[in-house]
Amino acid sequence: MALIVLFSLCVAATGACAQEVGASSVELPYTGNRTAVWVVAQLHILFAAFILGAPIFVVISEWLGYRKQDPRYDRLAKEITKITVILFSMTAVTGGLFIFVLLAAYPQFTTSFINQFYMVFAVMYPALFIAETILMYAYLYTWDVWKGEKKGRHIALGVLLNLVCLLILFVINGPTSFMNTPPKAEGVSPQDFIAAATLWDKIANQSWFPLSLHRIDGNVAFGGFIAGMIAAYMYMGAKSQEERAYYDWMGFAAIWIAVGGSLLQPFTGLLLAYEMCDYDFSFCPYMMADQLSMFFEMQGMMIGLLFLAINYYSWLSVKRIEGAENVRMTILAPIVLVVLLPVTMWVMNKYWIPDPMSLAFLLPLTLSPFLLSRFVPKTVSARSVIKVGFIVMLVSDAVWLTPGGFVATGTDMPDDLKLPEGWDFLASMPAKLSAILTLVFVTVVNYVLYNRTIKQGTILWGKIDFVSQFVLIFLAFISTWTMGLMGAVRSLLKKYFHTYSLVSDLSAESFTPTLSYSAWWITAITVFFIAIVSVAALVALRPSVSRVREPEGSPVPVGAK
Amino acid sequence: MFKKLTIGLVVGGALVGIAHSQEVPFDFQKLFFIFALIGAVVFMMLDASPIGTMNGGKSVFAVITFWILLITACIAGASLLPQFNPEDERAKIDKLLGKERAASQKGKAEELIARAKALDEQVKALEERLKGLGGGQAASVSLPPPSGEKPSSTAGTTAGGGGDVMKVGEEQWQLQECYNCHKLRGEGGKKRGPELDNIGSLLTVEEIRSKIYDPKSIMAEGYEKEYQKGVMPDKFKDLMEPQEMVALATWLGSFKNTSVNTPKPIKKK
Repeated sequence: MALIVLFSLCVAATGACAQEVGASSVELPYTGNRTAVWVVAQLHILFAAFILGAPIFVVISEWLGYRKQDPRYDRLAKEITKITVILFSMTAVTGGLFIFVLLAAYPQFTTSFINQFYMVFAVMYPALFIAETILMYAYLYTWDVWKGEKKGRHIALGVLLNLVCLLILFVINGPTSFMNTPPKAEGVSPQDFIAAATLWDKIANQSWFPLSLHRIDGNVAFGGFIAGMIAAYMYMGAKSQEERAYYDWMGFAAIWIAVGGSLLQPFTGLLLAYEMCDYDFSFCPYMMADQLSMFFEMQGMMIGLLFLAINYYSWLSVKRIEGAENVRMTILAPIVLVVLLPVTMWVMNKYWIPDPMSLAFLLPLTLSPFLLSRFVPKTVSARSVIKVGFIVMLVSDAVWLTPGGFVATGTDMPDDLKLPEGWDFLASMPAKLSAILTLVFVTVVNYVLYNRTIKQGTILWGKIDFVSQFVLIFLAFISTWTMGLMGAVRSLLKKYFHTYSLVSDLSAESFTPTLSYSAWWITAITVFFIAIVSVAALVALRPSVSRVREPEGSPVPVGAK
Repeated sequence: MFKKLTIGLVVGGALVGIAHSQEVPFDFQKLFFIFALIGAVVFMMLDASPIGTMNGGKSVFAVITFWILLITACIAGASLLPQFNPEDERAKIDKLLGKERAASQKGKAEELIARAKALDEQVKALEERLKGLGGGQAASVSLPPPSGEKPSSTAGTTAGGGGDVMKVGEEQWQLQECYNCHKLRGEGGKKRGPELDNIGSLLTVEEIRSKIYDPKSIMAEGYEKEYQKGVMPDKFKDLMEPQEMVALATWLGSFKNTSVNTPKPIKKK
């Protein structure tokens, strides 16, 4: 109800503003207009990403629990749903706030933008959001009713909820991506083309589908990392070994679902960047060689740390398995790990994307440890494979992080800060792509190894090295921070336009801010978001913990409490 | 632990030595050394003994400390990297958006004038009606002038109007960031577009202008792939004034350095 009232207010405010042509903007104190919009928008995106990603994560978990008849999956799904419901209201609040701040800061642009997408903002988005709200609450409140034989019905409701969530994501990504890549046609001015374009033309712009794909797997990964952090908090606060065992398992399950999403992230991200560069090639140097080059250096650091932390968590998980020391793997695995980076770099230089010839080399190479192992009797210990994997990961991170030059912009790069000829291959796009492919491959090998280890040994749930809980918190922080960073990059790509090449941002703030300034704000957004999620987790999960600790029907003398 | 640190230092030292011998800049040498140390830390962590379970206040304190460390590392990491100076871009944007900003101000002023005129018309109509009623005094009724600002007569000055064409052309080269793809006078370019030092010997000013206006009109020999992909953006006709485009073409047309191998242009349209 509150949501409907809030939305009505937003639409009314928009309408009022639309009538007042030329309404002047408000100067927001302390932050300035652009930063205020940025902070509120990013917060809204983080909450929205969680409430759109978590249901995917939740329904997978519920289905796994049903299929494996493992009640832990069901408990995990229900606990995350409870937190999602709380964060739902935060999404609505930040969404409403976003519209108000946008209207105050950029009234003319906001009005014309809403007019462009009136059907989306006034009909489709609110209708879908209301449908999502109803389904989300129905999903939570039918949990204990639709169980046993009716579980399938409950899972179907979860799938329906996810379909609505996906629709919301695709619908709202229309206006978002439109601002970066408004549709255009050769020989027609952008203004004329947009004037004649249909709503579908505007939604189905060049970056719409890749952005939506990137956000889907990103949201799954994000939901998983946040669930991992919640598991870490609960593990730290656990009073019994049973609880500790459960939250240890929850952290593990959440991270592996997150890894599933993370492995796709670099590729959908690359597809998005590819489409944007294809739309307007000037995006490419702006991102990689000019004003945003150091933003990408920072992104490289964050993704590198993310992969290191995921694999470190996997290592700690293997360490607590009894009998892990006896697990062995074909020697082809470490050999492929070592040669993969240089071979991929060579292949990528020879057959650059989208040339499919690269697959003719890379597919057999990456599949060989799994397909040819029966023909190669020599094996090595799991520990050795993982350690080789770490060395390869460190080298890949180093390749990914080596820039073409240590300057904030390639426009006027002095020679003494530039990679000399002969070394510049390290900074090329084929090298960066090879590095990320290798990082993904190492993670897949570790996952296979982990599965093999649990089949041969016994997992001691609740006995994991305590440092793993800090790894879970670290992963949540880094993934949130990286989302903030890349959110800023996507928005900054519009350069000095509100809508690229169509509507100029005439304010004095339409320049690229420094990375340092951005980092302060991204960190503040991350801390605020994680603090809210932590409070929501404590509110949603503490009562269930106390119920577990205090079994019903325990004999307590009258008047003893 | 000490062994791993030693290995890290040795590997780092070796990397620095190799990079130094190849005259790789010092910043990169530092980066390689840091990579080696991070590697040592990672391997120390892999074989470190497990830490004991923490509960209650101790775990809360540990988590808060960890948060502070993460916050510090993220901000410090980003701040230690080279920072782009927004003033450079600001000056460019001021030039690019100058006319639009002025027009926007002018637009606001014109709207105020229109409102004032409408008010004036109403007043006149009122006066006429009062006169018709025989109230001569009404003619002396005066209304205060509208509170709006006076229209600016100086708004909308054109960039380069009456100025040096060559100067405007060079300025457009900088503003439109042509140097990101084209090398000129030995500067800029990343092999995405042809080197242009001899373009004046190969194309007329009008041909250069038409290439900027419609990138599909001419293709550079050896750049077939880039031409097919449409690497040169088809947006300059919307971003530049016609006279600015002519100025840029004129300025580029003055480059006739035959010692530079500017690829042969092939007309496509």
